[in-house]
Amino acid sequence: MIGKLILTDLMKIRRKGIWFLAVLGPFGVVALQMVNYGLRKDWFIQQDTYSWFYYIRNVNAFTPFALVLGIVILTSFMASIENETNSWKQIIALPVSKWSVYLSKYTTLTILLVFATCLLTLFSVCFGIFLGLEGEVLFLDLIKYSFYTFLASMPILGLQLWISIISQNQGIPITFGVIGVILTYMAYFLPDWMIWKWPSLENQWDEPLINACFGLAVGLAIYVFGMLDFIRRDVK
Amino acid sequence: MEYIVETNKLTKRFGKEYAVEALDLKIPKGEIYGFLGPNGAGKTTTIRMLLGLMRPTLGSIQIFGKDLTRERIDILKKVGSLVENPSYYPHLTAYENLEALRKIYGVPKKRIDEVLKIVRLSDVRNKKVKGFSLGMKQRLGIAASLLNNPELLILDEPTNGLDPSGIIEIRNLIKRLATEEGMTILISSHLLSEIDQIANHVGIISKGKMIFQDSIEVMRRQSQNKILLKVNDCKMAWNFLISNGIEADFSLESISLLDRKDENVAMVVRLLVENGFSIYRVEEEKRTLEDTFLQMTTEERAI
Ligand SMILES: Nc1ncnc2c1ncn2[C@@H]1O[C@H](COP(=O)(O)OP(=O)(O)OP(=O)(O)O)[C@@H](O)[C@H]1O
Ligand SMILES: [Mg+2]
Repeated sequence: MIGKLILTDLMKIRRKGIWFLAVLGPFGVVALQMVNYGLRKDWFIQQDTYSWFYYIRNVNAFTPFALVLGIVILTSFMASIENETNSWKQIIALPVSKWSVYLSKYTTLTILLVFATCLLTLFSVCFGIFLGLEGEVLFLDLIKYSFYTFLASMPILGLQLWISIISQNQGIPITFGVIGVILTYMAYFLPDWMIWKWPSLENQWDEPLINACFGLAVGLAIYVFGMLDFIRRDVK
Repeated sequence: MEYIVETNKLTKRFGKEYAVEALDLKIPKGEIYGFLGPNGAGKTTTIRMLLGLMRPTLGSIQIFGKDLTRERIDILKKVGSLVENPSYYPHLTAYENLEALRKIYGVPKKRIDEVLKIVRLSDVRNKKVKGFSLGMKQRLGIAASLLNNPELLILDEPTNGLDPSGIIEIRNLIKRLATEEGMTILISSHLLSEIDQIANHVGIISKGKMIFQDSIEVMRRQSQNKILLKVNDCKMAWNFLISNGIEADFSLESISLLDRKDENVAMVVRLLVENGFSIYRVEEEKRTLEDTFLQMTTEERAI
């Protein structure tokens, strides 16, 4: 049943430019490095930082920002597809359980975000090779930085999805989301416990894995909370 | 009688207000049940609860003899519905809109073409619904409700936004579904004239309460033209007529006779005169079904 729901959710996002956004995001992040390395290549060489190690960290400086912005836009899009003509009443009157409807939305978003994360890794590798950086390609590092960031932003995904789905007016989740994007941008100044800091993979122990693990655990907890609330609510 | 839908003291409260109060809805199998009530009476709220969209504050719902809260998914497999304004995805075509639902029901693809044909949308199957007129969207909503060949069809004001020929078409379709496919159909409306021509059962709801529920014949009988008699002592005269085996009702300072045949009226008048009653007036009261409906719903309002 959940499989069929995901198929219909994928069908509903056709012609909405959502897949385009999922490509544009990672491309944008790498494009920023094109500008960065285009302008400052000599400086990097001079500083002895023209290597994969520093390149990956440079890319990752913008990933959290792009990812959180992407989450805000995609979740709101996803909810507005159903809110537009209030098709929630049509879906919930189908022989499906309410939790599976919610899970399907969540899974569809995860598919889109994982797709974008894979593209980010791919684009980074391609541009890195094009630059002819020093040393071996640090594949593990690359994958780590892309996917850890994704895992670390799962709490934000859960929160935005829940707010978007329960809000009749999409202004609310967008406003909330934009504040989140700004917080993500200022991650350096935030305390470790704030979920908007997590995608930056920064913490006082300097161990990105902590952010990824907490992101996954807290993300799933927020997802379950949102789903239970969705089940409890009357459909208008 | 076998009931497809049976509710017991169904109640829904929003804050302090009761939108639906202690409703005992009974829809017999194979019937077209007209669910009537003025705006804000609680029709849509009741329908939402029947579909499991809203949780009742109190009471229970049985559909196909099964409890809705416990076997919701099993029940909904055999229910088609259209609640309030039709829902659709404007950026998808009519066909794609139905396909999104078909996948979940798991019915064959050719069913989409069948339902599109039933509502006469075959020509625009590949057009985006964004460009549809209100009536076309309404038809698409009806098509969607028929996708799974339901045994129970729930339509909330289905002729909303349709032109007169569209209304007649849908009316004929509903009749056909009941007679040919044996569907049980619940159709809500705030217009008696809509229900009058197709329903064989009516439920009238006002301010959340059921104020009448029976076959339409019973309602028609209540709306027949009557002969009203005003007499010096109505109560006594009425008792006298009853004891003489004459069918009569006593209400509001007058006696009403259901049998309007000339001989009957003449006989009643003679009987009363011969027994010393003074007759002030003999009048005919003309009432339509609409009057009865209006009277029922406004009486409730006055309380
Ligand atoms: N979600 C809600 N929250 C609060 N009150 C509601 C809600 N839904 C309905 N109501 C109230 O419940 C009452 C019944 O509304 P309902 O929509 O069931 O009426 P209706 O009979 O369908 O009317 P109409 O003919 O206008 O469609 C109204 O007074 C309405 O204001
Ligand atoms: Mg209504």
